[in-house]
Order: sequence, then C-alpha cells, then structure tokens
Amino acid sequence: MENCTSVIKPKGFMKGFKDGIPIALGYIPISIACAISAIKAGLSFGVSELLGAALFTGTGQQAAINLLKGGETAIIMYAITLFVINCRYMLFAISIAQRFEKGMKLWQKILFGILNTDEIFGFAMKEKGTLSPSYLLGLGTSPYIGFFVGTTVGSLVTDLLPASISSALGIILFAMFIAIIVPAAKESKSARGVIFIALALSVVMECVPTIKVYLDASWIIIICAIATSLIGAWLFPIKEEGGK
Amino acid sequence: MMSEQNFIYAIFAMCGVMLAVKVIPILFCKEKIKNTFIKSFLEYIPFAVLTSMTIPEIFHSTSSVVSATIGFVVAIVLAYIGQSLVIVALSTTLVVFIAEQIMHMMNIL
Repeated sequence: MENCTSVIKPKGFMKGFKDGIPIALGYIPISIACAISAIKAGLSFGVSELLGAALFTGTGQQAAINLLKGGETAIIMYAITLFVINCRYMLFAISIAQRFEKGMKLWQKILFGILNTDEIFGFAMKEKGTLSPSYLLGLGTSPYIGFFVGTTVGSLVTDLLPASISSALGIILFAMFIAIIVPAAKESKSARGVIFIALALSVVMECVPTIKVYLDASWIIIICAIATSLIGAWLFPIKEEGGK
Repeated sequence: MMSEQNFIYAIFAMCGVMLAVKVIPILFCKEKIKNTFIKSFLEYIPFAVLTSMTIPEIFHSTSSVVSATIGFVVAIVLAYIGQSLVIVALSTTLVVFIAEQIMHMMNIL
C-alpha cells in the first residue's frame, strides 16, 4: 500500500482535469489579452510565451508589462511587485495544505503549488474531505493548458489585429478585475470597505502631482495595496474561519 | 525601455518569487495562521491590488477616455448583476469597440 499515492491515478486525474475545464475556458480570454499587451509592449513571440508559461498569472503578468513599459526598471522591482501581488498565495497554500491526503509526495506538492491559482484554490476548497494528489494535479493541469493556449493565440494574433479591435481589447483585463472586485464588494461589508479605501488612496495618489514625480506607477500600486490592506486588517479583522 | 535580454532575467526573478510564495508554504507550514491581523491582511491584498491597478489606469486603457468610461460603467453594471467573469470581460470589450466605431462615425475620435 506504500505506493498508493506515489503514482497518479488516471481516474482521479481525469476527474480533476474535467473540473478544471471551466477554469481553463475562463483563462483563455485573459491570457489572450495578456499576451496581446505583452507583444504590444514590444516583446517577441518567444519572450511573451516564456512570460505566460513562467508566471501563469494574469494580474502578475499585466503588472510586469506595466513595469516594462514604464522604462528602465531594476529587476528587484519586478520581484518586489510580484511578491506583493501574490503574497496572498501563502495563505492559500497554507489552508489547502491542511486538506492534502496523507502521504502526498514532495514532487506532487511542489507541482501542485506551481499550478495553484485563485480559481483552483477556490474550486478545491469547495470539495469535501481530503484531496487526492491525482485530483489536484488534474485540476491544475487543464487551466495551465488553457492559459498557455491563450498566451500562444494572443502572441500570434496581435500583429494581425486592426487598431480598432486592439484599442477595445485594452480594457479587457480591467473589466476582468472589475468582475472580481464588484461581486466581493456586494457580498461583504469588509471587502467593500477595503475596496473603498484602495479607491480613495489611488485617486489621492493620482491627483497629487508631486507624488508622481517621485514614484512610478508600480510603486504607487504597491504602496496603495499595502496601506489599504493594513488599514483593512486593522478596521475589519476577520473573526472566524471563512468569515468575512 | 529595458532590453529583452534583461527582461528575460526579470522573468526568471519573477518566476522565482512565484515559486517561493506558492510552494514554500505548502512544504513547510503545517500550522494554520492564527494571527487575525496577518490573516486579514493577506485576505484583503487581492482586492486592494486589483482596485489600485484598475483605478485610474482603466481610463487610459483605450483610444479615448470617453469609450473607456463607458466600458468602466458597463463592466460595473454587468458584474453587479452577477454576470460571470468571461461575460463581463467580453461584453465590456464589445461595448467599447462599438462606442469607438460610433465616435469614429461622428468624427469625435
């Protein structure tokens, strides 16, 4: 019985793979949009593919492209930006690790960690009981494929797109962010508070002209996000597990 | 703008950060985070980041502030009435496209 979790079971893997397909379909337009903005920022096809495959995150990729467009930026700045945007994964990783089946192998944990995303985490946590490595890896695989397909399509079509379509596509990622923010604001008072604080800070940062002289856009985002979350954690502490 | 060569190094650095935040806690942290303040802070980070990335940048994301504002309103309304992420994203883009075509016809773009 020792090796019961050391191999991937096709049945569990396929169930996860199928459950991941809706997530994969959702990732396709996002990754297409990311790849288009990567190519428009001047990256070659290969580098755009590498960016999508290495980061596997729409938000992080967009932030990286903004930094790239912003001019000469130190590599450490890219790392700090990605850390701030993604530090929530530490929370996801810790809470999902409690649900792993006993005996899950090291390589399975590492691979699942790489494939994990907000949506995969949300989906996996809805499942009851312990989660088998086969299921989790299946659940991570189809979204990754979807993201990669979208990245490839986006990188290839950018130069073929008429200016009118590519102008309209400029808004797609922001529309997606709104689609994540608004339902959270509707559902929870504390999320609403946090979003309002972030909004107010962003507007202040935008309107005070001296700030933009000293700080570029990525620093402004990082400062707003950290300040907002600190204020939010202080004003609206989350009381019980899962409560908002 | 940074050279593509340097950007590739930046990609490796970012990939390393992603691995660190996504994988290391899975391997080493067996305890739940008990501290309410840290838990709340991590919970709120995504909303805070997304909000500050969207505002004010969304208004400069298309050819004109007018079409972007129309898109902004459409996205909020669709998200508010509970449409899915894909629907919100695609419909907003379509509305912006149509708005810009109309603006072209009226010679205001």
